Amino acid sequence: MTSLILYCAIGAGLLVLLLLAVLRRPSRPEGSAEALLEARHALRTLQLGLLPQELVGRFFARDDLEYVVAHAPKATEQLFLEERKQIVLAWVNQVRQQFISLQDFHFGHSRHFIHVSLASEITLAWEFAALRTVCLVLYLLVYFRGAYGAQQTAGKMVGIAARVCALSEKSLAFLTPAESHALTDNSARGSAPV
Amino acid sequence: MTALSKHTDVQAASRDLRLRTLSFLAHPLDRLIYLASTRDYNTGLYHHDGLASRFSEEVACEALADCHREAFHQLLISSLENIVNQLQAYMECSRIDPLDFIAAWRGLKPYRVAVPAQTDALSAEFLFSNLRIALAILESRFRRTPPAAPAASQHRSLGR
Repeated sequence: MTSLILYCAIGAGLLVLLLLAVLRRPSRPEGSAEALLEARHALRTLQLGLLPQELVGRFFARDDLEYVVAHAPKATEQLFLEERKQIVLAWVNQVRQQFISLQDFHFGHSRHFIHVSLASEITLAWEFAALRTVCLVLYLLVYFRGAYGAQQTAGKMVGIAARVCALSEKSLAFLTPAESHALTDNSARGSAPV
Repeated sequence: MTALSKHTDVQAASRDLRLRTLSFLAHPLDRLIYLASTRDYNTGLYHHDGLASRFSEEVACEALADCHREAFHQLLISSLENIVNQLQAYMECSRIDPLDFIAAWRGLKPYRVAVPAQTDALSAEFLFSNLRIALAILESRFRRTPPAAPAASQHRSLGR
């Protein structure tokens, strides 16, 4: 019985691998340069626009909530909570979109520009999967509990996002070597917890 | 003009602008609105005669744009309490009845045209949201404690 389960598990694993191989988009050099620029743009948007600690920190700032609770009527408090929720939902969506763009580049086109070892590819795949899962969990948490019910998950997402940005940056550094140091500094700033 | 010398000139012009003009505007909100008012809505270019005469039109334009982005960023990362205080100070400087001011800002949303060009939509929306909340807080504050002017006019009419 045990060996049957084992064989079934191995069979299922092989089937999944086969499906992945079939579904994997063929990687063609055409359009790779455009994909590279899109990836570079996505990385810049994440590091400079969406993940800086001072901005993310403001989205979840507890002092804002405390101030509104202490100084505003109930209706304004409700308005504030709803607006913060919408802002954070939009933020999570944008972060997710930019990482999808980066992921498409890494798994579709990056091998035309750089040699990526199997270990790096597996690490990146794992981080991207973790990030997408955390993005989904964060979205659901914010949707049902509001921005202030999801601070810890947001912190986790920012942490994973910073790791993925750092990995991607290494891959894309050859494009703009002069900028790479500045961006490294920014990703370090962005990686601080919420 | 080389790129490096232009960059140096823009930095010098920005310093000059901060020293001679922006230092008199206490809050990022004041600076944001002032700098937005120096921008031509049709071209998106900034104009400042004094700065242009000391440097050049192009350098002045870039220095104003830099300072505008800086003011926007400072306001963006301000706490809500700070934004309420800035808005109240701005409102008091305008010498308009607070409730009229709030009604005008709610209706016309002048802050929407005060953001620098190429600001990302999320940052702009976050600032607008904070300003909407700040207006709501100020409105409730002024409705609870109405300004002195209506009371004074009532007193005069009673006297008459």
